[in-house]
Amino acid sequence: MLRPDINDLLTQTGPGTPMGDLFRRYWQPVLHTDELPEDGCPPVRAKILSERLIAVRTPEGEYGLMDEFCAHRGVSLFFGRVEEQGIRCPYHGWKYDANGQAIDVPSELNNSEFCANVKLRSYPLVKVGDILWTYMGDPEKQPPLPTWEFATVPSGQTYTSKRIQESNWLQALEGGIDSSHVTWLHGGGPKGTGLEADPLFAGSRGNKYNAGDVKPFFEVVENEGGLLIGARRNAEEGHYYWRVTPWVLPNFTMVPPRGDHPMHGHFWVPIDDENCWAWSFDYHPTRDLTEAEREAMIAGAGVHSKNIPGTYRPVANSENDYLINREKQKTGEWFSGVEGIAIQDSSLQESMGPIVDRTKERLVATDAGIIKARQKLRRAVEALRDKAEEPVGNVPEHQRIRSVAIVLPADQPFVEGIGDAFQAREGVGQTTV
Amino acid sequence: MAEPVAMSACARAITAEEAAFRIDYPLAYARSTRIVAFDESAEAVMRGIADEPWGQARFYTVNATGEQLVTLDGEAVPMAQEIEHSDSVIMLATNGIKADAVAAVGMAARERAIMTAGLLFVDDGELRGETLMAIRPHARILLVPAEHEDLYQLLVAIRA
Repeated sequence: MLRPDINDLLTQTGPGTPMGDLFRRYWQPVLHTDELPEDGCPPVRAKILSERLIAVRTPEGEYGLMDEFCAHRGVSLFFGRVEEQGIRCPYHGWKYDANGQAIDVPSELNNSEFCANVKLRSYPLVKVGDILWTYMGDPEKQPPLPTWEFATVPSGQTYTSKRIQESNWLQALEGGIDSSHVTWLHGGGPKGTGLEADPLFAGSRGNKYNAGDVKPFFEVVENEGGLLIGARRNAEEGHYYWRVTPWVLPNFTMVPPRGDHPMHGHFWVPIDDENCWAWSFDYHPTRDLTEAEREAMIAGAGVHSKNIPGTYRPVANSENDYLINREKQKTGEWFSGVEGIAIQDSSLQESMGPIVDRTKERLVATDAGIIKARQKLRRAVEALRDKAEEPVGNVPEHQRIRSVAIVLPADQPFVEGIGDAFQAREGVGQTTV
Repeated sequence: MAEPVAMSACARAITAEEAAFRIDYPLAYARSTRIVAFDESAEAVMRGIADEPWGQARFYTVNATGEQLVTLDGEAVPMAQEIEHSDSVIMLATNGIKADAVAAVGMAARERAIMTAGLLFVDDGELRGETLMAIRPHARILLVPAEHEDLYQLLVAIRA
């Protein structure tokens, strides 16, 4: 359980909230680059951390992210015209550049002087990989650009999707940390190896360890940027099979790899306090994704979802009970009756309500990873609020991280055993089983 | 392909306000938790929080074999009897862990299907392999290294 005030502290990310202030010390993904596909293309709404913003790409190719609403009468600039150097409100013709600075107010005789005093709140919008990122905090505290490996490998080696999730961000994050749900929610199929049915997981030796030991032990280890959560299963005599999930503050998690399949993970980005983006990525550190892999990802396999065309809303959603298939639930082909890892997660996390009341939960000892993560988040929020202490996770040395799957001798600490395998190294493949 | 379920009222009637009054029956102190310190350093951490107003949590040290637990008042009690009706055993240790004792408690918990968690405090240097090996088979989840505050946070979270 959490006290109500701590639950509020961790779940509220709007402007002026302590957790909102923490989030505003990190670069966050906002849009796919193909949402602003060309110079001078139409603007796109982008709500993040409870702020309604508009993203533009000027005819000159400059990206901008600013308050969605015109300073004059509050009209949404979604309806604006993208023109040279900026966007013009169609209501009375006020025009803003990519930084939200008014550059033309036609009704005013002393146009330039009037414009100088009109500026919309704006944030940097920067392309790194196939994603447009923003930093919404104090410009003087702006950290280095994101260096996550999935965003910095060549484009052919990576694929990113996103889906809207109708829940607070923390519910989604906690699902990413909570390794103990995997055996249940994502189980199914012959001998519990539903993994074998997914082309992005099939064929891994690790799947056999998973199926052979359905009651893993867990170890939670401090890491500089967050936590490493190791799930341990029996392997060959005297050895354990480890699956190590990294969490980097505040909202980045990875899933341990399987065989030579691409690696994957998530960003859980607050849209507002009751909705979040589940960004999902797959990448391979040393090779291009195959055509078949990319097609499977686009089709919603692995950690991705099949979305309603033209939207980021999954086809299986709350309005159709996530297309739950009671027959497959009964036979055990899909343990939860819901198809696909992403929707299996969202169906249950959304069912908790927009913001779950953590004062009423009944945690058990195996929830220690979640308990620890909440503790670290609370400390980071309070340290920033009360002591202006720099948060972790927003610097390259904390972001160059990987998940790991490995077999180690039984007497070896997994952190010692994996060595630098959880650090991203250019041209070096992932450590996987 | 499953047929979409007809739109159901409950699927849409979700608000944060409504979520806050789900499970609105009184929550008892559900956890009958036993906390066992397996060496002197761990005992010091345990004593630091044992006076908090816990529900059904009970705190112990242990003898070398694990057959006897010792209450904070110094009373020796049979280990098997003390954990019989608990639903979780929290094991606290440092590099000074009593390996035989942790094995005895761990096996007793396993035989009774009692959940176990371990907190390894390593304030006194690097974690030693033998320490890890001693506790690892017996703790379903292990925080390593654990901070002193982790014990308090864990007990609060599970309503001990």
